[in-house]
Amino acid sequence: MIHVENAHKRYRLRKVLDGVSFTAQKGQITCLIGMNGAGKSTLLKAIMGLTPLSKGSIRVDGVQSSRELYEKVSFIPDHTAMPGGYRLEEGLRFMADYYHSWNEARAAELMTFFNLNEGDRVGNLSKGMAAKFGLVLGLAADTEFVLMDEPFSGIDLFSRELIGEVFSSRLIEDRGVLITTHEIDEIEHLLDRAVLLKDGKVARDIDCEQVRDEEGKSVLDVMREVYRT
Amino acid sequence: MDNHGGWMETAFNTRDPVYLQVVRLFKERIVTGRLTAGEAIPSRREIAALLKMNPNTAQRAYKEMEEQGLIVTEGNSPSRITRDEDVLRHIRSELLGEAVRTFIGSIRNMQVPLQEVIDLVKQEYEVDAKGAPSAGGGGA
Repeated sequence: MIHVENAHKRYRLRKVLDGVSFTAQKGQITCLIGMNGAGKSTLLKAIMGLTPLSKGSIRVDGVQSSRELYEKVSFIPDHTAMPGGYRLEEGLRFMADYYHSWNEARAAELMTFFNLNEGDRVGNLSKGMAAKFGLVLGLAADTEFVLMDEPFSGIDLFSRELIGEVFSSRLIEDRGVLITTHEIDEIEHLLDRAVLLKDGKVARDIDCEQVRDEEGKSVLDVMREVYRT
Repeated sequence: MDNHGGWMETAFNTRDPVYLQVVRLFKERIVTGRLTAGEAIPSRREIAALLKMNPNTAQRAYKEMEEQGLIVTEGNSPSRITRDEDVLRHIRSELLGEAVRTFIGSIRNMQVPLQEVIDLVKQEYEVDAKGAPSAGGGGA
């Protein structure tokens, strides 16, 4: 379980996170929802130990961030961190060298699934293909948690569907998934939980099926309530 | 065998619980004969992939169907549609009753005499029966 407790973060005078607490469970897909600038990416980076919090704590399976975290949690940023001159196969080799948890067979499977060409250069990928390559890099490792920052943003519908397909497949298996998004679109029925951020706080933290069951509302309905007031 | 048993064409609405929509889908398939008594159904994992939905939701839908006696799972063998005639009859009358109530609800405000409605239903039903191919088991 990823446990974020009372997270505070300031950029100069602006309070981005003002006491955010939530959990992301293994075997579930949790979605952090918020408008642009709501601190979603900051939270993912904070979980990975890439940015310090002003206050608060983050624990992954009870442990505060450590080096072992990188073998346990993979992070797919919203833009690839690979040098543009790399061929995709070089990118894969780079990952294999750095991560013990790298699973070569799964990487190959993902490359085929997304129809990516190993000889292409990272810098020449379209936005949709770059997003897919990001998913290959993030999902190929045998990690217990996967964090994805805006995996659907700016890519075409067909790629979205393909990426949605990954969420329901055994490529995710029993891992815990935490994704961020500012639009819910066609992924809403894939989510277990949604955490809605507003003004640096958690405005609502919902079990998606429960909200449909008890309130007859979609996640989008709940978003309207939160963000239109 | 038709293409993935036609599961792929399913679209969910966002306001009803997805697991209940899946249960409904199975009921419709049973009533229309696309799934028959005792037939083996896809595993939870397979159905999640086919319907592109969360595996936890598939799990929940199957649990609900087991509780309703719709499907039976024995040991490690695949889940099967029940052979219990009572359950199957009940599903049929449930879906039929629901459709008729929806229909009545949509014409209630028009204040039509019942006989006129019955005549119209009869007429449309016969036209539809002529136009449609004869009813049968599987798909295309």
